[in-house]
Amino acid sequence: MKTTRRNVILSGAAVGAAMVVPRMAAFAAAPEVKLGVVGVLSGPAAQWGLALRGAVEFVAAEANRDGLIKIDGQPANVSVVAIDSKYTAEGAAAAANSLAGQGVKMILGPIGSPELTGIKPIALRNSMLVMGNGYAKDAIGPQWPLVFHQGPGPSGWADPIIKIAKAKFGMKSVVVVAPNDQGGTDIASVDAQAYKANGIAATEEYYQRGTTNFAPIVTRIMNQKPEAVDLASSPPGDAGIMVKQLRQAGFEGAIGRLGGPGYSEISRVAGGDEVLKDFYWYEPVFIDEKVLKIADDYKTLMKTERPENNLFFQWVSAARMVAKAIAKAGTATDTQKIAAALRSLPVEDPNLGAGGWIGQKFFGVNQELSFPFGVGLVVNGKVQPVQRVDAATET
Amino acid sequence: MEGLVATGLIGISLGAQYALLALGFTLIFGILGVVNFAHGGFYVLGGYIAYATTTHLGAPYPVAVVIAALGTAGLGYVFERFLLERLVDDHLATLMLTLGLYLMMSSGILVVFGPESPSFEFPITGVLRGGGFYFPLQNLIVLAVCIVAIVTLYWLVYHTDFGRALRALADDRAVAAAQGLRPKLLFPLAFALATGLAGLTGALVTPILSLAPHIGDPVLATSFLIVILGGLGSVGGATVAAFIVGLIEAYSAVYLGGSKGALALFTLVLLMLVIRPSGLFGREARGA
Repeated sequence: MKTTRRNVILSGAAVGAAMVVPRMAAFAAAPEVKLGVVGVLSGPAAQWGLALRGAVEFVAAEANRDGLIKIDGQPANVSVVAIDSKYTAEGAAAAANSLAGQGVKMILGPIGSPELTGIKPIALRNSMLVMGNGYAKDAIGPQWPLVFHQGPGPSGWADPIIKIAKAKFGMKSVVVVAPNDQGGTDIASVDAQAYKANGIAATEEYYQRGTTNFAPIVTRIMNQKPEAVDLASSPPGDAGIMVKQLRQAGFEGAIGRLGGPGYSEISRVAGGDEVLKDFYWYEPVFIDEKVLKIADDYKTLMKTERPENNLFFQWVSAARMVAKAIAKAGTATDTQKIAAALRSLPVEDPNLGAGGWIGQKFFGVNQELSFPFGVGLVVNGKVQPVQRVDAATET
Repeated sequence: MEGLVATGLIGISLGAQYALLALGFTLIFGILGVVNFAHGGFYVLGGYIAYATTTHLGAPYPVAVVIAALGTAGLGYVFERFLLERLVDDHLATLMLTLGLYLMMSSGILVVFGPESPSFEFPITGVLRGGGFYFPLQNLIVLAVCIVAIVTLYWLVYHTDFGRALRALADDRAVAAAQGLRPKLLFPLAFALATGLAGLTGALVTPILSLAPHIGDPVLATSFLIVILGGLGSVGGATVAAFIVGLIEAYSAVYLGGSKGALALFTLVLLMLVIRPSGLFGREARGA
């Protein structure tokens, strides 16, 4: 290369930049904590995934605002990487693999049992901490020490809800209906057991996921002459059609949905609360003024309305627990340490109140968060105030 | 006995819905030789056009149904005329084009209307009851529209110059074109007719069941099953197969349960295809 004045200036500038940039980078780069989100962001169950993503993004913003997490004494920047699991096991597994490839060690989600089944082997292989939500009978367990449950499954809340529904509607028999995959069978069978334990005769009916017209299933249910029908974990769209077709077929009894939230969509699809008539459902969070404060804080911090689905509040409490555990452990990579910190934390949320760790009796591991929850009721076509139920325990 | 008849009525209702869905699908294959993977998308779009027309524009429901049929027919015409027609002989390209259109339609609907089902009600909600049977009036209306659609389609395809031209093009495009028939004019019209039927079905059926951006997937699967059973491209076959599938689905689900019923349906279809690989009314191969 010819030594010209231009080349000398350029070389000097390059050397100078090479000396300065690393110092600037070292000065500017705060430690990074990446929270992975694996949830259904499209399709019929998208509102559940949008609630999850919104909650984690909100908690990350809260942590950044408050400087909650410090790594090596430096405030960490918490960011969120969200991937659509498409509500399938393979979609969730692909999402977990993608997150592992990006160096993400903590996953919030997924939501459904098949997704959780798909994600666990990848999480185990990559030592990822998972705070998931599937209601499967093997959602958590001693063989997956880094997998936590963000709220109880039907083993925790079905019994108190059934007691309330029985007192209100007095049913003696029920047909529990759900899709014929793990996302349906694991919930419906636990619900059925809980009904039987309360002296209500229960039978289970399953349908092919993707069914659009439930008239034949409804006829089969009607032939059994039940006093109540429980739609278990049927997606809200399916549940709404079934309610509509049950009422068209002349079913007068109470209809429950012990499988997850989604009342508003079910009511919309069915044709309103008059069609629901007598209806009961599980509300993961009892919404009071303190809980609604989260919605206000969300609007202030995120400059938009919070996601509609009430699972949002439950995910906020779970994500806060994970954030607190990372803060306590002082690391974003050592998930064993973070898990140990999480297990030792008292279950407490500034908005949702106090709860506890459960799961030992049903799953063999005490890694299930339990907060107070609610029971929703529609009686004679009129929505009733949601009833508060204390956090599920294992007595 | 009452149960058998009541289940039969459900099977006929299902069959009417399936026939409306499958007619457009099989028409496109029969005339153009294209497997339209966007068929479910046109069904969903028809539903959303009707929903938006009634909810946001305040139009009466029957007007909304007509607008939905015309809107989806218009989109189908433009899609065939300007995209599909260029590659109509390349089966892989048409498959990718229609699949791409479906993804664009469902994503677009998701962005505009959101992921959740809106409140979209059929204006007539009564139920006919008597002697242990029940038949929702809305299903009766769908059945009536189905019969009108089948008769109209038969008349169009088998008793008009338009239908004769389409059948000639389907038999041997080169010879038909040499005799003065214009595929660039007729194929888009045939495609529009089929997509209009899908849109009409969406506008009629989604307020009875539910409306959501993703519901095109099972619609496509059901349409596929029916036209394969009836014989790809056969309008008569699709109609008969739709009612067979509806009745089998109803009886098997009622008497065997949802899971075993689905298994029984697919097993029967499989057996039927082993016996008649080209379907109930299908030909060995298309001429063009």
